[in-house]
Amino acid sequence: MKHKNILSIIACAITAVISITPVYAHETLHAMGSTTVMPVVSEAATAFHKAYPDISITVSGGGSGVGIAAMIQHTAQIGMASRNTSPEEQAKLNEWVDNIVIARDAVAVVVSKEVYLGGVTHLSLAQIARIYRGQITNWKQLGGPDAQILAIDKEASRGTRHVFAEAVLGNAHARAPGASLISGSNNEEQAIVARSHQAIGMLSNAWLNDRVRGIAIDMDGVAISPTLEQIRNGHYPISRGLHILIAKDASPAARAFVQFLLSEKGQGIVKKVGYLPVH
Amino acid sequence: MILLKPGLYLITSFIALLVLAVPFFLVQASAPFWASAGIMVLTGTEWFPYEMLFGMLPAIIGSTWAILIALFIAIPCGVATAIVTTELVSSSLASATRMGMEVLAAIPSIVYGLIGLWLLLPLLQASFDLLSGHSLLAAGLILALMILPLITLMSMDALKLVSSTQREAGMSLGLSWEALLFRVLLPQAWPAIRGGILLAMGRALGETMAVMLVVGSLDRMPEPIMNVLQPAQTLTSRIGREIGEAAFGSIHFSALMACGLLLALIGLSISLFAHTRVVKA
Repeated sequence: MKHKNILSIIACAITAVISITPVYAHETLHAMGSTTVMPVVSEAATAFHKAYPDISITVSGGGSGVGIAAMIQHTAQIGMASRNTSPEEQAKLNEWVDNIVIARDAVAVVVSKEVYLGGVTHLSLAQIARIYRGQITNWKQLGGPDAQILAIDKEASRGTRHVFAEAVLGNAHARAPGASLISGSNNEEQAIVARSHQAIGMLSNAWLNDRVRGIAIDMDGVAISPTLEQIRNGHYPISRGLHILIAKDASPAARAFVQFLLSEKGQGIVKKVGYLPVH
Repeated sequence: MILLKPGLYLITSFIALLVLAVPFFLVQASAPFWASAGIMVLTGTEWFPYEMLFGMLPAIIGSTWAILIALFIAIPCGVATAIVTTELVSSSLASATRMGMEVLAAIPSIVYGLIGLWLLLPLLQASFDLLSGHSLLAAGLILALMILPLITLMSMDALKLVSSTQREAGMSLGLSWEALLFRVLLPQAWPAIRGGILLAMGRALGETMAVMLVVGSLDRMPEPIMNVLQPAQTLTSRIGREIGEAAFGSIHFSALMACGLLLALIGLSISLFAHTRVVKA
């Protein structure tokens, strides 16, 4: 008898919970892809959820390639990408996906603090290319400290890698025989550069800090730093749009979230995270 | 109760089906890759998916080295710990060891990866004067730490289960402790210890996350081939790094499934090897 009592109490409780749930449907959206775009989207998701408590947005990384693949395979409602889609990807997305630029960003060429303070504060694209091709292997050759260069490459799926390799090596999928490590997310790369005394890597502009310094790029004799100002005026050579992908027939909630990203509040978050707003 | 036996049979046949289905899936998913790239990719040394180059050898060698290092460290340490705790020290110390090992076994692999990233890599970098510390040695050491509890716990159980009549017979013959250990205890316990080692090896073979963080993920042949101090790639870390963007149904995806199939085959062959060796001995 005791068991029956407990069961009936549980049944009553379940019925009660179901009946007091609001009538409007909860909706959970999933955003996936670039870890460069992620800080903006996750912060915006928190703010958006506060304004519309019945819409929850989960955000996960993986890289631009993963975000685009997730759209193609319908495993996420919102894709994040820090590069343009390739022609093959575009062919699969053309009909039914909107590609919206929510911010602009620079891919900074970063070095460890010791290298920066050792004298390497600016390099030309050709010099960076020679490092990644394995033709320059010691910082001394570039006027820096006498230390071997730890060149960090990124996973092929990463948008930052695409943009960097296209600008520096001429092709998004170019080989980098001078690289001695492959890293994944911005977070992982930032940690490796910070821990090393002799590293060079590629990171979104928003991920620089005291141990991870962005160097200027020499363009026709002028050193151009990866600042928001230089991205805005188009002088910094390795910049890109940060994209949101969303299906044309997406739910009103997903649409509203994209509108929120483009609104004054959303663009404020873009600025706060360290990217250049588009509006 | 009348349904007990049929129920048990049902569950067992379901498991048997799964055991057959997983390898079948791996073979089926990797078939397009084997058909287009051929078996010679096994000896290829260049892995550039965007150029349709799928050389498997660097990752095969990387996986092999990582596992050998892990087993080379974890087997002697684990068995030695088991001998000391079950045969030499008090039972309360033994249960404390057991509890410690169970805690170690329950820690998620990402935590081991982070321990490796923050503690092991700087240590290796400083002691071997390396560029970053990312290396097969780091992967092997982390794996050794991860499989140590499994080997220790299985060995402790195995030694405990050696029957006391055997033990007493040995002692009454006046055997020294060393002779008792090597002639009675270890031979009796060996099949179960071997089981533990095989399970541990399975875990080491399949471990992705922790290895991915410390191995460097660089798809290049170690030079020379026994150099375990360079960044390298294992089959699992390659799958972990690349599966997200490999479109389902593409050759790249199929190639990663082929890496999975290779891991399964390596596991199978080591396990068969262990079986035949033990039966002969």
